[in-house]
Amino acid sequence: MGEKIFLKEAIQLSLRGFQLFFHTAPKLFLARAAYAITMGTVPYVNIYLSAQLVGELAGDREIDRLVALVITLLLSNLCLLIFSESVKHWMMYENSANESTRELILFRKLLSMDFVDMDSSQTHDRLDQIDQNANWAGWGLGVLPKIFENSLRAIISIICAVSLTVGMFFQKVPESAGRLKVLNHPVCIVAMLLFMIGVIAAASIMEGKAEQYYAKCAVEARFGNRSWGFFGFEVIELERAVDMRIYNQQNLSANYLLKNDSFQSNSMMGRLVKGKMGILYAFSSVISSSFQGIIYLFVCMKAWAGAFGVGLVTQYIGAVSAFYSGVVVLFQAVARLKSNAIFLKIIFEFLDVPNQMYQGSLTVEKRSDHKYEIEFRNVSFHYPSSKEWALKNINFRFRVGERLAIVGENGSGKTTFIKLLCRLYDPTEGEILLNGIDIRKYDYREYMSVFAVVFQDFQLLSGSLMDNVAAGRSGDSEKVRKCLMEAGFGDRLSSLPKGLETCLHKDFDKDAVIFSGGEKQKIALARALYKDAPFIVLDEPTAALDPVAEQEVYEKFNEIAGDKTTIYISHRLSSCRFCDKIAVFDKGSIVQYGNHESLLQEKERKYYTLWHAQAQYYTEEKRRKEELDQLRRNLGEKVIFDE
Amino acid sequence: MNKMKPKYTIWQNVQYMLGMVWTCKAYSVVVFCVLASILKILSSLTGILITPVILRCVEVQVPFVRLFITILVFAGMLMIWSGLSAYVECVNSLADRADIRRTLMQTVMKKNCTTSYPNLEDQNVLWYRRQAEKAVRGSGEATEGVWNTLSDIIKNIGGFFIYLFMLTAVNPVVIVITMVTAVLGYLVNRYAKRWRYQHKDEVADYELKTWYILRKSQDMTLAKDLRLFGMENWLKDIYASVMILYRGYFFRRERIYLLTDIVNVVLTFLRNGIAYGYLIYMVFNQNLPISEFLLYFATVGGFTAWIGGIFDSFGILHEQSLDLSMMREYLEMQEVFWEESERDKREDIPACKESCSLELRGVSFRYPGAKEDTIHNLDLVISPGEKLAIVGMNGAGKTTLVKLLCGFYNPTEGEVLYNGIDIRKFDRREYYSLFSAVFQKFSVLETTLAENVAQTYDSIDMERVERCIEKAGLKRKVEGLPNGYQTYIGKRVFLDGVELSGGEIQKLMLARALYKDSPILILDEPTAALDPIAENDMYQRYDQMTRSHTSVYISHRLASTRFCDRIIYLKNGRIAESGTHEELLRAGGGYARLYEMQSKYYREGTVDGEKG
Repeated sequence: MGEKIFLKEAIQLSLRGFQLFFHTAPKLFLARAAYAITMGTVPYVNIYLSAQLVGELAGDREIDRLVALVITLLLSNLCLLIFSESVKHWMMYENSANESTRELILFRKLLSMDFVDMDSSQTHDRLDQIDQNANWAGWGLGVLPKIFENSLRAIISIICAVSLTVGMFFQKVPESAGRLKVLNHPVCIVAMLLFMIGVIAAASIMEGKAEQYYAKCAVEARFGNRSWGFFGFEVIELERAVDMRIYNQQNLSANYLLKNDSFQSNSMMGRLVKGKMGILYAFSSVISSSFQGIIYLFVCMKAWAGAFGVGLVTQYIGAVSAFYSGVVVLFQAVARLKSNAIFLKIIFEFLDVPNQMYQGSLTVEKRSDHKYEIEFRNVSFHYPSSKEWALKNINFRFRVGERLAIVGENGSGKTTFIKLLCRLYDPTEGEILLNGIDIRKYDYREYMSVFAVVFQDFQLLSGSLMDNVAAGRSGDSEKVRKCLMEAGFGDRLSSLPKGLETCLHKDFDKDAVIFSGGEKQKIALARALYKDAPFIVLDEPTAALDPVAEQEVYEKFNEIAGDKTTIYISHRLSSCRFCDKIAVFDKGSIVQYGNHESLLQEKERKYYTLWHAQAQYYTEEKRRKEELDQLRRNLGEKVIFDE
Repeated sequence: MNKMKPKYTIWQNVQYMLGMVWTCKAYSVVVFCVLASILKILSSLTGILITPVILRCVEVQVPFVRLFITILVFAGMLMIWSGLSAYVECVNSLADRADIRRTLMQTVMKKNCTTSYPNLEDQNVLWYRRQAEKAVRGSGEATEGVWNTLSDIIKNIGGFFIYLFMLTAVNPVVIVITMVTAVLGYLVNRYAKRWRYQHKDEVADYELKTWYILRKSQDMTLAKDLRLFGMENWLKDIYASVMILYRGYFFRRERIYLLTDIVNVVLTFLRNGIAYGYLIYMVFNQNLPISEFLLYFATVGGFTAWIGGIFDSFGILHEQSLDLSMMREYLEMQEVFWEESERDKREDIPACKESCSLELRGVSFRYPGAKEDTIHNLDLVISPGEKLAIVGMNGAGKTTLVKLLCGFYNPTEGEVLYNGIDIRKFDRREYYSLFSAVFQKFSVLETTLAENVAQTYDSIDMERVERCIEKAGLKRKVEGLPNGYQTYIGKRVFLDGVELSGGEIQKLMLARALYKDSPILILDEPTAALDPIAENDMYQRYDQMTRSHTSVYISHRLASTRFCDRIIYLKNGRIAESGTHEELLRAGGGYARLYEMQSKYYREGTVDGEKG
């Protein structure tokens, strides 16, 4: 927050913000403008008419004129108030209806952002900051409509007030007033004006100073909000409940809550509030009130000396008070606009991140025979946030219809390889070719259409089963059904009373069904099948499954993949037996490539080690083998696979 | 559930909050509350008096000095009141009020973390819990907002009596009419509020949905799927369709509010008409001076505002009191687990390190509302030092069985015994201390790594932490971290924290279990996220880790179960098979089938037949 933003830049940033906001929610601004104009003018009708009434009372007190004035006052009030209430509620409707505009703007950007940028820590930090600023005091885009309305309203109000008060300065005290004639002197008028300006300036400066203290506490306040949010509320999630009890985590959490003094009376903010900040606010208030006193003094002295009647006294005082609050509101709006600039800046930095991946234009040839070839040529990659190579000099080529298994230890680059393949990231060095052409030259969406991936941490959304499988709202229910059956979800589907319309997760529908991890995996698999892409990638698809379900996935998948190319990442090496080729990853490189049998021949190398680390428990002793043979004879093959 | 009657009255809840002032020693809260209301009354009074009094001076042409002094006195008062008000308001926005809320927040958090486990799945309890969370969540909520309300009530009642006294100089009919219009205004507003209250659930629904969709765009794990499956438009569609409904609601809401506001405008029109009429009558009949005319008119307006204010602030207090009552009822919610141990004369946990046996005797368990038992009439003895493995298909009841053993649920029928004593007789919190566990769903706190291992903030045995981290195979990683053992985990609270991968977290959880070193070790799929070598490592160390412990191991990888003394194969909530690995294979039942299925691809030469 060390940066300083000058007014000019602040205005530029805000104008851009207004434009963006206006573009997203134009009616909100119309309604706010209408409301500002109404509220800027309506009060003065009352001030003017009341003054007339008082003037009449102080003067001739003619009954007809009095009654007429009262009736005008009452009726105009009635009409104007009904009008302004209507405008107000229109504004409030637009306001509520567009309440999430701020988030909508971020939402749209997020949906279209390059994955690599979305995944960068910079984006995370920016988003966190944007959110925290908004939660803390509404800073950012959210305050713009209010700033707009307040400034407009203040300007209109000031214009009206000035037109009702000019007389105050120019109506002269009669000659008979003696020494008070000094009030007619231009110097006196100028002094009065200067004084008014001085008071306004002093009060605003003090208030501005006080508000700066809030900004100084911003870092601490955001930290406080994060800490309260986590240790006060997130720790009670159901998922944590078991550990919480076994390890008595509430004590540790409570300690962090207690340690956090961001908002407490002895915190920096607490001390400031009781000390400097409170005093500044108080003085700012005292000075503002002195303004009213001075006006009373000036106006009443003039009236006492005979410059104008009592009626005008009320008019001037009413109008000048309104003028003053108009100026204060305007100053506040400008101050807010200025302090808000830094928060807007972060938002624009986020929105201005370019979309580089969407620049390709080639279409991917749609081939019914699924003849595609992928080649990695000298590909190296490290994540933007790290200097360590996640993949090093990968040269690799595979053809359609092959079954490829990727194995390796945690952190050896398997998932990264898939992310590059699907172009969630671009290689740092080297290139990836699809049918001989650099994938960066293809249209991004077109290229994406070639892959269907079930990531380890796949997600399904709160929505119907149908929409989830079709990944959208215009699914073909027959195809969805077929894919679910192929994914092994058929039995479960027929047991669901609502069928394809069954909702997932309870967010949207209280009757939703909570599926188990294995069932969700099958739905995700169906989604991948529905996409009908030539490449299907499965990243650890069986981690949550029991042996039978695991078996099902292996065998079923082999069958349904048909002539598609499948890539399989798994820690359970038994799955390699289904694959034509195995790529063994170690520390970011492909160290071995070949089929299971040939790789096992290469003793003392990675695949051999991996395989035997797992297989020993199933194969190590002869005795066990004999037992198993015996067992298999006992059971008969068909009991094992009753498909 | 909206009709639930609060247990505590408004007055009791106010007392409770005042009690909190004493507990937290936050006396300034009360002082500032009263001060704020007095200042507001004073500035309101000064405000309505200033114009009439000064006009009076002008009207009757008092000596200039007197005019001057009068203005100075009033201006001075205005300055003092507003200066003090600003100060009080600034202080009230923070400080002591926040202390009280934090104390309550912490109480609610602790209750949440220690409440009997079945409460977490009880919709009725959860409803109270949500209310309690809401009451402490923000500075605007009941636990902090109530002070403003109380201050408003003092202000409005005080103002009401003072203005009433001022108005007694005027015709009582005017007072009555003013009061009637104020009451009518209140009734109309109440109608609008009721309408809004009745549509509360509808709004909550829309809010939840829009929030869900907007949030999902920031979800990094979804981002991959979103791009690969082109789900952007789906999200946009859902958002748009929810917003159509939501806007419809806003439209109806503002229409109702507009109507009530128009009724209020008309009521004001009537009241002002009558007041003006009466005052003009007074002008002509009793030659009322302008100053008094203005004063009375302003007083009538102010009087109405105080009455409205009383209604409003009591309305708010009523709502806040409801929230407070719900929170208190939640805090006092029955604790099945604790109360049992008090009722049956609590027994101390027998001190044991080596010899602890667990037994399930005729245990059945059925989740509330479920049609079938998850665990059915199950007998199981785990003898001291035994290493037990539980296997079975997804949904066979493995996790439920472990939760019964750990005392997270009470059996529907039968009993769970620890060293021969029904666990219901123990203090459940002490009972939990017997277990070290790595479950599939875990809670990593955003604290330092060392604190995550030791699960305490003071008296951390660093040597032991290091030993456990090493045993769990995480030493290299930790030593590579910028702040080593003092590195914060996660970035949600401390921005300089680090994110660990799934495998690393699993190891960290293991280190935590080792540090706790309780007599019974529970491991639920601890290797799911590990690669073959790390998995193998873990098996190799398993024996050493569980030495002198009783342990229960759940796994889908049957290779691991052979390190156990006994395996039970669960099927439909019953123990279908039990014995050592060899015995079960020889028996040729479900376990043997599973094992065969998993192992066949690891053996040479058997796969070709099936492939194709």
